[in-house]
Amino acid sequence: MAPLEDLERDYPIIDSNFRMFCASHGIFTDTDFLMHDLSALEAFARQDYAPQKLEHGIKQILSIIESGQRPWLNGLELLEDSQLNKCTLSTGCESIDILLQGGLRAGHVTELVGPSCSGKTQVCLKAASHVARNSLGKVVYFDTGNSFSPKRVAQFLSFSPDPSTTQLNKTVERDMSSIVCHSVFDIFTLLDMLRQLRNNLRSQISFQMRMLIIDSLSSLIAPVLGGGGVHGHALMATAGLLLKEIAHESNLCVVVTNHMVAGEAGMLKPALGESWKSIPHVRLLLSGKYSANGTRIKILKHPYLASGKSTDFVVI
Amino acid sequence: MDVSSLPISPSHRGKLISAGYSSLSSLSSLSPSRLALDLKISENEAVEILKVASVRSGQDKIESGSRALVNGAQTAWDMLHEEESSKCITTSCSNLDEILSGGIHCKEVTEIGGVPGIGKTQLGIQLAVNVQIPAEYGGLGGKAVYIDTEGSFMVERVLQIAEACAQDMLEYNTLLRRDSQACLVDKQPKSFLDNIFYFRVCTYTEQIAVINYLEKFLSEHKDVGVKVVIVDSITFHFRQDFEDMALRTRLLSGMALKLMKLAKKFNLAVVLLNQVTNKFVEGSFQLTLALGDSWAHAATNRIILYWNGNERHAFIDKSPSLPSASSPYTVTGRGIRNSTSNCKRVKLM
Repeated sequence: MAPLEDLERDYPIIDSNFRMFCASHGIFTDTDFLMHDLSALEAFARQDYAPQKLEHGIKQILSIIESGQRPWLNGLELLEDSQLNKCTLSTGCESIDILLQGGLRAGHVTELVGPSCSGKTQVCLKAASHVARNSLGKVVYFDTGNSFSPKRVAQFLSFSPDPSTTQLNKTVERDMSSIVCHSVFDIFTLLDMLRQLRNNLRSQISFQMRMLIIDSLSSLIAPVLGGGGVHGHALMATAGLLLKEIAHESNLCVVVTNHMVAGEAGMLKPALGESWKSIPHVRLLLSGKYSANGTRIKILKHPYLASGKSTDFVVI
Repeated sequence: MDVSSLPISPSHRGKLISAGYSSLSSLSSLSPSRLALDLKISENEAVEILKVASVRSGQDKIESGSRALVNGAQTAWDMLHEEESSKCITTSCSNLDEILSGGIHCKEVTEIGGVPGIGKTQLGIQLAVNVQIPAEYGGLGGKAVYIDTEGSFMVERVLQIAEACAQDMLEYNTLLRRDSQACLVDKQPKSFLDNIFYFRVCTYTEQIAVINYLEKFLSEHKDVGVKVVIVDSITFHFRQDFEDMALRTRLLSGMALKLMKLAKKFNLAVVLLNQVTNKFVEGSFQLTLALGDSWAHAATNRIILYWNGNERHAFIDKSPSLPSASSPYTVTGRGIRNSTSNCKRVKLM
């Protein structure tokens, strides 16, 4: 909702004459423009002493408004888009891939929720290393708890339990250079980074980015959520919408981790509350402590797979 | 772009929206005096708001020629090299150092919890002394910040541990560096005390204030090189008499994020000492760390200290890169050391 003065900078046709004409009809911003009867406005414009400029101005504003919208799509176009662009990325763990019928899907926001030490960060690191090892593209990792461990990623990439003695050769270097990590410590910085990322991806510079991991989103939102105000919920919803937009537009897999809090009767429930539940496309619950024997992962929500299915997995 | 995503105080945000400024573009060409008049706030506050808004709207413009996907990010390869070249703070107990792969790492928040009397404060004091070991002896040569909430910091004990540390360094010097150049400046035990900055907090508001102040303190003392911040204990003021649990969760998660930021920004280690509580799990009471499930995610690493028969043990509960392992240790007059068990038979590990 921009006032008309700001549009003059980029579109000189919207000069002060045009603005005065609009003001005489009570139009100060582009929203007012939309709410006005456009045919009546054009009729007034034709009666003016300089009709051409005014009509151009009206057309210009209409095109600015339309360019901000998304185009209408029909089902066939959506199916084509999903078959061509929205491919599945493996998580690196076979059992999780079998459970999810392929793995993480581009265009989906996947949430990993589980109690402390259930293996959420391990799954994220494994998925990132898998993308890097098979040179599928870049991975951006937003880390809120300093838990991104390059040593662990090197272990995954070189199959060795002790990376300091292995020869860190050129392939490991190339693989690890495609994982980019940034530490984020508050929700406002995260929103800025996401907007910056969205703009960079939109401007067609070829980045070949395939995956975005935020570990963990709940620790950024917990300090602002609750307390009688709705501002925390608004920020959470904004972050969720930005993630979905980036995932859909740039065909990325977005992985987000969430922790658990105490619910009724001593049972644990996912943090971030009821309003967050509808935001991610896929929700996976990791239960129990991460151990070498395997941890249970269960589908809580999925667009086309049955929820409640679970399996055991181990991150080697 | 919305005004609601600006990091300003809620009252200012409310005033902005009720005065009709709901998007950033409406703030772009406004003078501070006009804004101050509209919102009925002081001109300084108006200048602050406009500064934040201009920073945010400036970031929206695509930087042509910038090749980075995300500004300020590092690749995993660079981080690996940084990690390999960074030193850890030794705990003076070689078994413990082994399971920690070197000791307490910088840029990470480590939480250490255990029953009363297990040696948490002793470990904290040992780390505050060990961080000052000079680089020539394999240490970090840094200073320590000790935030005491319980009043369990005993200066006489610190002196005792510092003397033992100085003695150890002297021994190391004579044993291994006979052939090399002249003996380096040996540290006096009192100089160890000089390098520990001590804060005593008595309420939770003071605790939050100290952590907020730490950022300013650390940037002022940047040349001084504080390498460890020890908080003993992080939970004390949040356990009793806290009526509003939602507020407690918000304060604790905010505090955790600030400590993470300090660890990353100033390249230091943050050590948080925690107490234990009883939790009713699956029909029986179990000992878990205090402050509940939401705090469990606040630390990068977690070490639990417990009694195993007559011996003290440390167990790695949570770590992104270390496997779960446990090791014994003792608390002696000289500080934390390896445990020499009295058993004559060889123990099968």
